[in-house]
Amino acid sequence: MSFLDQHLLSSLILLPLLAAVVVALLPRESVGLQKLVALVSSAAVFLVSLKLLGGFQATAAMQFKETLPWLPEYGIAYRLGIDGISLWLVLLTTFLTPLCLLGSWQGIEHRQKEFGVFMLLLEAGMIGVFCALDLFLFYIFWEAMLIPMYFLIGIWGHERRIYAAVKFFLYTMAGSVLMLVAFLVLYRESGLRTFELAVLAQSPVPPALQAWLFAAFALAFAIKVPMFPFHTWLPDAHVEAPTAGSVILAGVLLKMGGYGFLRLAIPLFPQAALDFGPWIGLLAVIGVVYGALVSLVQPDLKKLVAYSSVSHLGFVMLGVAAFSTVSVTGAVYQMLNHGISTGALFFMVGMLYERRHTRLIGEFGGLKNVIPWYAAIFLMVCLSSIAVPGFNGFVGEFLILLGSWSYDWRLVAAASLGVILAAAYVLWMVKRVLYGEVTNPKNEGLRDLSARELCVLVPLVALALFMGVASPLFTRTIEPAVAGLVEQVRAQQQGAPSAAQAPVTAPAPGAVAEGH
Amino acid sequence: MPNLELQPVLPALVVALTGLVVLLATAFTPKGRRAPALELAALGLVGALAVTFRVAAHARGSSTGGAVVADDFALFFHFLILAVGLLAVLLSPAYLRATGAERGEYYTLMLWSVVGMLGLVSARELIALFVALEIMSVSAYALAGLQRDRVESQESAIKYFITGAFSSAFFLYGVALLYGVSGSTRLSVIARAVADPPAGSATLALLGTGLLLVGFGFKVASVPFHAWAPDVYEGAPTSVTAFMAAGVKAAAFGAFLRVFLEALQPLRQDWQPAVAILAVVSMVLGNLGALAQSNLKRMLAYSSIGHAGYLLVGMVARGPVAAEAVMFYLVGYAAVSLGAFGVLAAIARDGREPLSLDDVAGLGERRPVLAAALTVFLISLTGVPVSAGFVGKFQLFTAAVGAGYTSLAIVGVLMSVVSAYYYLRVVVAMYMREPVEGVEWAPTGLPARLALLVSVVVVLGLGVYPGPALAAARQAASVLAGAL
Repeated sequence: MSFLDQHLLSSLILLPLLAAVVVALLPRESVGLQKLVALVSSAAVFLVSLKLLGGFQATAAMQFKETLPWLPEYGIAYRLGIDGISLWLVLLTTFLTPLCLLGSWQGIEHRQKEFGVFMLLLEAGMIGVFCALDLFLFYIFWEAMLIPMYFLIGIWGHERRIYAAVKFFLYTMAGSVLMLVAFLVLYRESGLRTFELAVLAQSPVPPALQAWLFAAFALAFAIKVPMFPFHTWLPDAHVEAPTAGSVILAGVLLKMGGYGFLRLAIPLFPQAALDFGPWIGLLAVIGVVYGALVSLVQPDLKKLVAYSSVSHLGFVMLGVAAFSTVSVTGAVYQMLNHGISTGALFFMVGMLYERRHTRLIGEFGGLKNVIPWYAAIFLMVCLSSIAVPGFNGFVGEFLILLGSWSYDWRLVAAASLGVILAAAYVLWMVKRVLYGEVTNPKNEGLRDLSARELCVLVPLVALALFMGVASPLFTRTIEPAVAGLVEQVRAQQQGAPSAAQAPVTAPAPGAVAEGH
Repeated sequence: MPNLELQPVLPALVVALTGLVVLLATAFTPKGRRAPALELAALGLVGALAVTFRVAAHARGSSTGGAVVADDFALFFHFLILAVGLLAVLLSPAYLRATGAERGEYYTLMLWSVVGMLGLVSARELIALFVALEIMSVSAYALAGLQRDRVESQESAIKYFITGAFSSAFFLYGVALLYGVSGSTRLSVIARAVADPPAGSATLALLGTGLLLVGFGFKVASVPFHAWAPDVYEGAPTSVTAFMAAGVKAAAFGAFLRVFLEALQPLRQDWQPAVAILAVVSMVLGNLGALAQSNLKRMLAYSSIGHAGYLLVGMVARGPVAAEAVMFYLVGYAAVSLGAFGVLAAIARDGREPLSLDDVAGLGERRPVLAAALTVFLISLTGVPVSAGFVGKFQLFTAAVGAGYTSLAIVGVLMSVVSAYYYLRVVVAMYMREPVEGVEWAPTGLPARLALLVSVVVVLGLGVYPGPALAAARQAASVLAGAL
């Protein structure tokens, strides 16, 4: 067996790093070559990542595991592995990165070399976060990833880019440093002298301490998601970032919040997760409705998409808070959906911006008559975003709402309001941008999508449709992992003496298959 | 008299003699020709490193009359200090030329300051330690004032000298009181005496400990004994500032560790809360102070006060992890401060160096490699992975939390977030702002490039693969009785 096969996950992390070094060493003048190397290598990473699908078993176990001793005195090792939850997030990352590089082929007009380098570094960091099974390693990737993102926003962003970049960095760092202290307290209290996630999750610390540690973790992840009221960095960062930055932010970085809850916070502190669950659910639903209401009144397309993310991620967190097999499967699925449809939306807003240098909805109107291809795809992406049946979003939201009903029907009822509001703000926006007469003469001469732009958008739309009709192909691998996680956590919650509430029984695995 | 073994002082001897040779070479070089001071100094330091290797291999644990030892602890710091000296020497020539301060005695003073540092970390006896402290400090005072035509440089030297003399007096008084308790200046005897003080001298021991704490507090620039640092760091020639931030801090912490964990370990109950307070106020005031600075050297000076605070966190925590964490952190911090000040020094031109954010604006575009190096240093100072600074902070805070000082760790990480703000300002200026017209910096010379490259490699290397350095620090720390 080749090195690649035995160290598939390491290869996925190392390849972009290597490519970043290569791009950095290319001569400054050969801009075309720099872009090409970055694009080709990220596409190669995607192809390599597809090998994961081939060898993946639909069980709850961690797979493709790798372990290398690193700091044995501290019980720190380079531990990688993926299960059905992280598998798809890794694939989402490797899928979106080449599209971002292709999509920014022309939009990035200066310092293309650094752009390629930072995108590739970011990719390595993101994959690392989803594969790390050691708290120390996780934290390294988690924090290191901030730096390329900070540069992407700060160098290639729009007018208020510096403010947005610094705000993004400080917010995220402030959230995560307390998590670091929580790691250390956990390390001390567990007495196991290891940072290995699986071992620590086997023997939870006393409930009183769990609450504090969970709070520290939850703060870090809630900022990342972002959950209301920790979302204020998001509109700035999303709006000011260049298109590729917004796509990666929305597509992958936000997923890390939900992923962090599922992978770290809940398994490590099952009792606290149970106690805090209702509050997380409440904040999630507030986020759903609040994000939707703010989207409704946005005059700026990019802001609208940004706030819609707050709303969509609220759904995800509702599924996580309810913590049944169905709801969490839905949450994971919805994370993927959001990555695809919101990623596509940011791409399309960016394309419009490249043509008109404005993002104000009021500047547009009747685009369907001028750029029909753009209009058709835009409409499809919007339908996917508002979860119309047949598109991916429907499956995710349905599973979340279904799986959360027995947890607290009031939350589900309130969140359903968000579904309606989403249709309202998106369709109203579509009407104002695409339909009607061309009122603004500046819009008359717009050119339609180029072949390159179609290459970016068609895979996304195709995947959105495919995930809408062929969801079992995906849930087949997600569900066993989620079921295993839910079972493990429920077992510990029952084992520990607690007062909060009776645990929700996990529905039979077959329930997911009925969801569509 | 016990047998006099010279091995432990051999490296220091080599450096001291090199200093003399440099001085003579400068004196006898005809006017108008350049003395080979840089080459000689570098050669001497490399020679001293080689000698240290030999001592480590053949004479580990030997001692010169029990006063100066070559134990693992001393050897660890010897390597560090000699490397710091070498890098500082490499950073100097271009800067001295650009600012017109090129003098032979510069290198001699730097070498002699290194001699003091070497003695400081290997002394197991307080008089020897004090003499070493003075050798280091007096050379540093003179170095700070070497740019005679710059009033800031003179101010720096005077300020450094007066506060330094004060702190020496505190230190010496502390030594005297401990002598009163134990009848000896040897660390091992003091340790026995303070563990079970003779009747009526318990207070004396505490007073002596307090005075030593003040003395070390001055030298490592911890709040409230920090007031000299910003002015001195700002006024001194930048290559000297780099040397002080990296070398003086490391050597002073080395002596601090040895005295407090070896001689004063029995009084830990008493000094630990005091050091904890110093740690907190240093972290908070150092970082908040840096926030308000517009001058880069001053900003880095305040940040160095903050870093003294992080290091003190490691002094508070008990157990072997703490001492080794402090030592590991010192290595990373030495590389980072040499690098950060070194970048400023490396591109000085016509008596000017980059001091404001305007001065570094657009550096990312004009000097991509240099800007990338400075970014690495700033990231490490912030404590973001992948860097020595992150691993170092991780270990310090692990030690603190492990010892039950979770609150110290929380203050520490929050202050790291504050520090991110002012370090990022520099990165913002370099990468996200347009260059200011008319600002043109000198190309980086080969010696400086080499020094900066080494610093970057160390910072990233310790961030990715800290194992060997940590193991060395652990072995070194195991010498200290109180670290166990």
